[in-house]
Amino acid sequence: MTSNQLENFRIPIGPQHPALKEPGHFEFAVDGETVTDASVRLGYVHRGIEKGTEGRNYVQSMYLLERVCGICSHVHATAFALGVERLAKVEAPPRAQAIRVLVGELERIHSHMLWLGVAAHEAGFDLLFMYSWRDRETVMNLLENITGNRVNYSANLLGGVKCDITDQHEQEIRTGIDFLEERTAYYLDVVSNDAMFLRRTRGIGVMSPEAAEQLGVVGPTARASGVARDVRVDAPYAAYVDHPVNIVTETAGDLEARFKVRIKELFESYRLIRAILDNMPEGDLTTRMPRRVKPGETISRVEAPRGELFYYIKSNGTDTADRVKVRTPTLPNMGSVLALAVGHQFADMPMLLAGIDPCFSCNDRMVSINAPGGDTQQWTWEQLRQYGIEYYR
Amino acid sequence: MNTFEALIALLIFPGGIFILFMGMAYEWADRKLVARFQNRVGPRWFQPLADNIKLLAKEEVVPAGVNAVLFTVLPVIALAGAMTAVLYVPMMGLEPAHSFSGDLIVTIYMLSLLTLCMGLAGANTLDRFSLMGATRTLTQLFSYEAPFLLALLGPALVAETWEIKAISHYAANHTWLLLTQPIGFLVALIGLMGKLELPPFDAPEAETEIVAGAMTEYSGRGLALFHLGKGVELVVGLTLVAGFYLGGIANPLLFFGKTLLLLVGLAGVQALLTRLRIDQTVGLWWRYGALLVLVQFLVLILWQGVM
Repeated sequence: MTSNQLENFRIPIGPQHPALKEPGHFEFAVDGETVTDASVRLGYVHRGIEKGTEGRNYVQSMYLLERVCGICSHVHATAFALGVERLAKVEAPPRAQAIRVLVGELERIHSHMLWLGVAAHEAGFDLLFMYSWRDRETVMNLLENITGNRVNYSANLLGGVKCDITDQHEQEIRTGIDFLEERTAYYLDVVSNDAMFLRRTRGIGVMSPEAAEQLGVVGPTARASGVARDVRVDAPYAAYVDHPVNIVTETAGDLEARFKVRIKELFESYRLIRAILDNMPEGDLTTRMPRRVKPGETISRVEAPRGELFYYIKSNGTDTADRVKVRTPTLPNMGSVLALAVGHQFADMPMLLAGIDPCFSCNDRMVSINAPGGDTQQWTWEQLRQYGIEYYR
Repeated sequence: MNTFEALIALLIFPGGIFILFMGMAYEWADRKLVARFQNRVGPRWFQPLADNIKLLAKEEVVPAGVNAVLFTVLPVIALAGAMTAVLYVPMMGLEPAHSFSGDLIVTIYMLSLLTLCMGLAGANTLDRFSLMGATRTLTQLFSYEAPFLLALLGPALVAETWEIKAISHYAANHTWLLLTQPIGFLVALIGLMGKLELPPFDAPEAETEIVAGAMTEYSGRGLALFHLGKGVELVVGLTLVAGFYLGGIANPLLFFGKTLLLLVGLAGVQALLTRLRIDQTVGLWWRYGALLVLVQFLVLILWQGVM
């Protein structure tokens, strides 16, 4: 085989592939087992949610935006609620803010446990996968007890929260957290000491702090490279103002560090949940929220389990947002996969990919690039809809 | 051996129907054990049978760009090879159906035929996952085959024969070779896992990387035959290791006891360990497996010389 042919041996991962639970298309050029080039194509699960919010009022949009992500739905609702409340110059009562953070931290536990299982499965360590998902049921049950739902909890309202934390809930949460803390200590031990597992994680996908800064990665991926970046610390929101977060960082920047950061963050979440339960403010759950929001624009940032979640909301004085822009943490992190892939073994690719905890349907956006010559295509909503129908006919 | 007996041996016991069902039973035991270790429920007892019936009944899709004859014939050869190996091993603790001096080599060769066929089957298709899987299958074959062979030659050396029946007799009448040749036992058992592509040596069919490896393009009959072949190989491999290292298998009770004991060990290792990358597999075998077993071989030869 000539070198040219070798370069053309490209292995696709996706859109349908056992390693991916959502569609995305990655192509890795390999020379034997070594990856020489990587490319990505996203956009298979674009759902038009941003556009959808333009036709719905704020209350309805909340419902829609909660469905951006199936795993971290609560942070989306929190980001949107905080943004709209700021535009409307309304502040949710302290008890509501505390419950928002409480549910948010429970959600982080659920998300990190889920990730731990998926990442272990990518490495072929199904035992850890099965165990962590079994224990994750605990936190799912807690969330169901509090909000009535296992996913898409719908805990937030504009101007407050729907669900209250009763004494019984508090007791259940404390018991569940105690159990999970014990299990988490065990998982931390496994990922830092299991010799076979370390062979697949230590020194793989090393990202230096400089590279992390340059690629603009966010969340646990950045913190594993020693970049102390956490919205909960940098710009505290809701109850994080009263309950400061201790930022967890690792310096190694490899997959092992990404495992450790996420697991250590779980301990931080347990601590926060206990602190909030100890100092739960009394008072109302909601405050009055006007139907129409004065014209204005705002940026709302929250820390999702995967990193910084960014909302831009523009209001125009009606009950409908003029524009809602969502940037999910997967988008800035995606570049790091491609940057790190070259030179690694092909067998490391699924783990490298899972290392950023990707969520494809959250980050898929439609991008239209206008050529400098002015070759602009403007389509109306009806034309676009018709195009979609024809395309899939 | 007259024709009637030969037909029985080929089609009913120990070859043919019997070994196919044994293979499925052991496959079920393996899956169930791993599932229980992982805190799952695991499959029901007839699951492998149901899988195979379903696969055999399915249409076999021959993908474009393959040699259709090879595509159809390779699974048949693979299964035939594995089932031929059964004739030379003391199945159920009974005397082997057929035996001659040097049948150990033939048996090991027949078992390798399955892997070889899988590698060729993967290389035959144009699928990129298959090609990658085929490369890995054959790479793995070259890494575990020599240590595995050496590990089985250890007992042959002390028994001073290359006939499976005789080695088995020798093992039954002496101290368990597990105690005198512990390294050989370990290498043989782990070699068997490599041969069967069980975790942690499942890089050739690593689901999250290359879908099903060499088997990706196989859907119906071919896949079923390969699966059956693997089940047969599992039983034969366990019989060989139990017969050689665990003090022989004189009757069916001992046979089941010892092979299932080994299977519990195999399942435990499968559940416990993370998949090795293919380069790590090769490194493990040539850096440790082969060297250790060679050292033991040297000791054995010197010991024989002294005695």
